Amino acid sequence: MNYLRGEFDLCTGCEACLLVCSNRAAGGYNPRLARLKVFRENENLINRPLVCTQCENPFCMHSCPVSAISRAEKTGVVLIDKEKCISCGSCIKACPDQMIRWDKTGKADKCDLCAGNPLCVQYCVPGALKLVKKREVPGK
Amino acid sequence: MNISEGMKKLLYIDLNRKASSELAVDPRLEENFVGGKGYGARILYDLLPAGCDPLAPENLLMFLAGPLTATLAPATRGCVVTKSPLTGTFADSYFGGHFAQEIRYCGYGGIIIAGRAEQPSYIWIDDGTVEIRPADQIWGLDTFATVEKIGRIAGSESVKTACIGPAGENMVSYALINCEYNRHAGRAGTGAVMGSKNLKAVVLRGSETVSPANPEAFMAAVDRAYAELADSEDVKNFNIDGTPASIDFANAEQLLPAYNYFDGSFEGAAGLNSEAQRRQFWLRNVACAGCPIACGKVGLIRRGRRKGLISDVVEYETAAMMGSNLGLSDVREVAYLVKKCDALGLDGMSAGGVAGFAIEAFQKGLITAAETEGKALQFGDSESVDYLLDLIASRRGLGDLLARGVKEAARELGDGAADFAVHIKGLESPAWGPRSVPGMALALATADRGGCHQRAFPILYEVGGEWDGKMVERSALEGKGIIVAHLQNYLAALDTLVKCDFAQYGITGETYCQMLEAALGRPFDTTRLMALGERIWNQVRLFNLREGFTRADDSLPKRFSEEPLPEGPYQGEKISGADLDRLLDDYYTARGWDSAGRPAGETLARLGLDQLTTLVRAPDIE
Repeated sequence: MNYLRGEFDLCTGCEACLLVCSNRAAGGYNPRLARLKVFRENENLINRPLVCTQCENPFCMHSCPVSAISRAEKTGVVLIDKEKCISCGSCIKACPDQMIRWDKTGKADKCDLCAGNPLCVQYCVPGALKLVKKREVPGK
Repeated sequence: MNISEGMKKLLYIDLNRKASSELAVDPRLEENFVGGKGYGARILYDLLPAGCDPLAPENLLMFLAGPLTATLAPATRGCVVTKSPLTGTFADSYFGGHFAQEIRYCGYGGIIIAGRAEQPSYIWIDDGTVEIRPADQIWGLDTFATVEKIGRIAGSESVKTACIGPAGENMVSYALINCEYNRHAGRAGTGAVMGSKNLKAVVLRGSETVSPANPEAFMAAVDRAYAELADSEDVKNFNIDGTPASIDFANAEQLLPAYNYFDGSFEGAAGLNSEAQRRQFWLRNVACAGCPIACGKVGLIRRGRRKGLISDVVEYETAAMMGSNLGLSDVREVAYLVKKCDALGLDGMSAGGVAGFAIEAFQKGLITAAETEGKALQFGDSESVDYLLDLIASRRGLGDLLARGVKEAARELGDGAADFAVHIKGLESPAWGPRSVPGMALALATADRGGCHQRAFPILYEVGGEWDGKMVERSALEGKGIIVAHLQNYLAALDTLVKCDFAQYGITGETYCQMLEAALGRPFDTTRLMALGERIWNQVRLFNLREGFTRADDSLPKRFSEEPLPEGPYQGEKISGADLDRLLDDYYTARGWDSAGRPAGETLARLGLDQLTTLVRAPDIE
């Protein structure tokens, strides 16, 4: 399976990733509504992208009281079933990287890797976001 | 929110009444002036009383976005528009970073600030909530500390802040507005206007989305723009070397200011260029919102007494104005001084011009050690400049004189000081000495906000380019008027979007039009684009004429018109008064202006400016 990786040394802080992601996730541009983040540190010496890595041991998935979060068998992507989601916020609290957000219908929402070809990677001109191969995840 | 809808909603804040109101934009304003510079030009003309003191509460301070700002359209910015305390002209100053985008995410096309707060204040806009809050905790702080403190007060580092430093609080005529980090509305004293309003900062947090009218066509146009940027050699150079690559070019072409513009090349240029900067401190590329060019290069100084200082790229303009123009060749010292300007909230370009003027005045005995606490002011001495920056920002002693800019300082000093005060309309000249490039001289003389290289940059044509299928002769006077007028119109149009100066080296006019068309959902082509630019240029001219500017103000400093380049391949070159007259005649004709530089009736009619009676009215605020 593949997962996203963000590199601080290459990130320019342009936030094009946040723009394309928000447009897909929220139906319009606003970096605050994206499914990843870019932090600024130390007078902007550093821009640090923070992305959902489809954890091997996903706290969000384990915390969901109604099993609305599951891992797709083929791709390994951790997905939220919006029909099942009861908007309790357990997954949002569980993710220490705050990679889960509320969508505009009030459901939990997270990175789904754009069905395998992430827009954020496509529009990352400096190459700071990469789709990399992860070791096989044991079935859980 | 739909882009067009958002651009029709401006936020008007009256600091006198501590109240705000939405200002619904007349559709004719959006149609004819689009955004950014266009909005600013018309709003200032309609709302400002003629002859208004720039530091009076009646002056307006506007933060304006454009229809492409905050979208995926690559490299867009915002601008501050006001009447300049340095020049008395219309002033538009452009800033990158992320602040202009946040205006759009708050749901507005721009923010207009009128009046003066009773006490030091800052404005907090959280989506639809607008508050005017006391600034006790941040007044007096430098810009870096202000941004940090505001983040802590807001409990979020993701808020976007525009603020002034001590220089703005003290209304130094060339104070800037900082739009974190190393991004500024730098020129013409916008920070002084903010200070005059007792306004320390504007802080934004918005969760509104921005959506083009035709998303599919928009993405197609954006992809085209990305491809054009990737194909451009110029853009590639900005990405690799940033703007200081121009140091070598300007030095070779004798365009680089050295020793208060005495010369056009500098023996220490190699200490300031991209190579020197990369060696001394660069670590990575930095970009503004949605920009694939990334001309910024941030890093840590690695050796010497400034070791550990964090600095973004020392941009060409500041590397020249605070470096070669002051005889400084160690980029670490220049980085330190430029960062000091940023922290104090001083425009590094004007500050470099003022410091060069002060050092020459000291050499000539017009400023004496009695006024500098015994300190000798010298070229090549960063301590002299360091000392001057503190004086200026605090307006202490001699600093009060220098805080008014070289034009006013020269008037006060007298004794021939005006001969070496290098400014146009009061704005300290940028780092492109024009003595061997008449087109550039004309561009500087006619730039709407005073000496500015960003309104037209004909140098690129004069050093070996073609115009209309013919090679442009560098030293020729003929034919430069039409080039300058065309470039001014084109760039004024793109300044409504709001473009970045460097992106337009890659993105074509057609592609900008396609992005705009898809964003707004109405037809737009390059013919309309050029008419838009010409309309705005004339609108601004009408403002400046109303404020009392005449042909006599479309001038050049004596250093460029009477003192030829002293050496080198262009030795002996200058732009005499007679040369400038010929250039101006040519230019006014190309513009459809009379010989006094006033737009003719038919020109205004052609641009629809004769029909447009008041388009903007201040809202009634309880």
